[in-house]
Amino acid sequence: MFSLVQRLGSAFLELLQFMGHMFLFLINILWCVVTPRYRPRNLLKQIHFIGVRSLFVIILTATFAGMVLALQGFYILSRFGSEGMVGPMVALAIIQELGPVLTALMVTGRAGSAMAGELGVMRIKEQVDALEVMGINPVNYLISPRLEASIISLPVLTAIFNVVGILGGYLVAVHLLGMSAGTYWGGIESKVGPRDIYISMIKSVSFGVLVAWVCTYMGYYANRGAEGVGRSITQAVVLSSVLVLVLDYFITALML
Amino acid sequence: MTPPSHLGSIGQLLIEAGRLSRQQVEAALQRQSGTVDTSLIGEILVQEGAISQWELLDFLFRQLTREREEYRNNPTFTPAIRFVDVEKVLDGRRVLKGVSLAIPKGKITAIIGVSGGGKSVTLKHMIGLMRPDRGEVWVGDRVLSGLSRKELVAVRSRFSMLFQGSALFDSLNVFDNVAFPLREMTRLPEADIRSRVEKALCQVNLDGMGDKFPDDLSGGMMKRTALARAMVTLPEIILLDEPTAGLDPIIENSIHHLICDTYMRSRYTMVVITHAVPEIFNWCHHAVVLHEGAILEAGPSLEVLHSKHPVIQQLINGALTGPIKVI
Ligand SMILES: Nc1ncnc2c1ncn2[C@@H]1O[C@H](COP(=O)(O)OP(=O)(O)O)[C@@H](O)[C@H]1O
Ligand SMILES: [Mg+2]
Repeated sequence: MFSLVQRLGSAFLELLQFMGHMFLFLINILWCVVTPRYRPRNLLKQIHFIGVRSLFVIILTATFAGMVLALQGFYILSRFGSEGMVGPMVALAIIQELGPVLTALMVTGRAGSAMAGELGVMRIKEQVDALEVMGINPVNYLISPRLEASIISLPVLTAIFNVVGILGGYLVAVHLLGMSAGTYWGGIESKVGPRDIYISMIKSVSFGVLVAWVCTYMGYYANRGAEGVGRSITQAVVLSSVLVLVLDYFITALML
Repeated sequence: MTPPSHLGSIGQLLIEAGRLSRQQVEAALQRQSGTVDTSLIGEILVQEGAISQWELLDFLFRQLTREREEYRNNPTFTPAIRFVDVEKVLDGRRVLKGVSLAIPKGKITAIIGVSGGGKSVTLKHMIGLMRPDRGEVWVGDRVLSGLSRKELVAVRSRFSMLFQGSALFDSLNVFDNVAFPLREMTRLPEADIRSRVEKALCQVNLDGMGDKFPDDLSGGMMKRTALARAMVTLPEIILLDEPTAGLDPIIENSIHHLICDTYMRSRYTMVVITHAVPEIFNWCHHAVVLHEGAILEAGPSLEVLHSKHPVIQQLINGALTGPIKVI
């Protein structure tokens, strides 16, 4: 009994220490973001990697998310006789929830895992130490551009997701289910306001910080050995995905 | 009378030793177009046919041998780096158990010992990558652990380090890897950087390999690239962690010649961790034996080589029986 309490206590302390360490890391990155030296080329490279190269998956995911929403929405709403509301339902669900969340999850899976892996390999192959020895601040050199690129890319990707998703919904609602185009667009126009877009953007910027923070942390502090890198990639993806959903709940609760 | 310094340290050595006359060296230099880089005089003399490559390397080696004998007879030095009773615990294990040592300035020091004995950890303490749990690390007249981040960066700018795994950046080619510290830490114009990198690559016999990527290099080429990257910043102190591990004996020998050659050009303080025992004793002034986190013996290499200590004898002979249990 006593040992159980002891174990729980030490696990709790470990968790606190881990959270504190992660938090200090975030402060360190943010400090490095605002202090020189600035490396626009590294930033562009990361925007290309995180943003541009995620475009294809985002478009694919968005199309199908919009299509399935329209399909489901149509059958559910038709039970209440309000199938005319499919347009706004699809649009609001995507803009407020699915757009930012699915984009963040896709970026975690594609770019976040790669970030953790790349940084983990740099750590175990002593390349991080090599930077340090040359007098270069590794957080400034490696982590800041990734965070900045993530903060820039996620809102853009989310906006693209939103537009493509609504178009996917249009395809199903109008061309498959025979709804009139006027009803679909008209509903969206009258029910979706600037505040919805604002929520979408707040979420995507927050997720941008979160994904880059968690994934770079896991890679930067990878344990020694190839096993350590593998573990850091898994932890990065799992923790980042879970935290995206948790943070999504709290932002929604605050904003609605 | 010593020959003038525009002949470079290697030109001076050759003249003093009577291997070439001053006229021969100057004639070779006059045939060069433009200003002559004194640290490349060895290469120029070889190109001009005044001396063969092999003869030059052998000459430098014999010069080093003479210096080593002088150092044995008069083992005094100014320390460039000093450890005072350094202790370090890693993962709950005492890796360094009170290490005190001094690295002579302007000389080559070898650190030897069995794997896992704490050699790399010792080297990382010298440059502030690790901090001692107890004790002090001095570089010149400063204690590393008392420095602010900015001061530490200033101290580190006097150092270069070759890591055990080379630590080349995978996304950069050989040229950019070597140029990296210059581009990041100096404001040199790109043309100067280019000429310095080309010179460094030439010194490690990698000229023309600049556009290869680390993944395409053999082990020996990686080490030589890392060595070029370490030398290109013209540091005062170079730390080399196993520059010859995993290489065949011929390349190992060529890297030893390269270290000697580099040293003779610029008289750096060099610290070499190595398993190339007993060969390394021919290539260093000073030797330190590190065993299980403590210094067993330190002194002129010729003294340590003939030490009666059973652990050192076993290290040098590679015997299976003795105080170090392997089986
Ligand atoms: N960063 C580290 N974290 C934990 N343990 C380490 C670390 N670096 C080295 N060690 C341990 O310290 C001991 C000495 O390592 P090292 O100095 O690399 O030995 P070597 O003499 O072969 O270079 C080893 O047992 C190693 O496992
Ligand atoms: Mg080692």
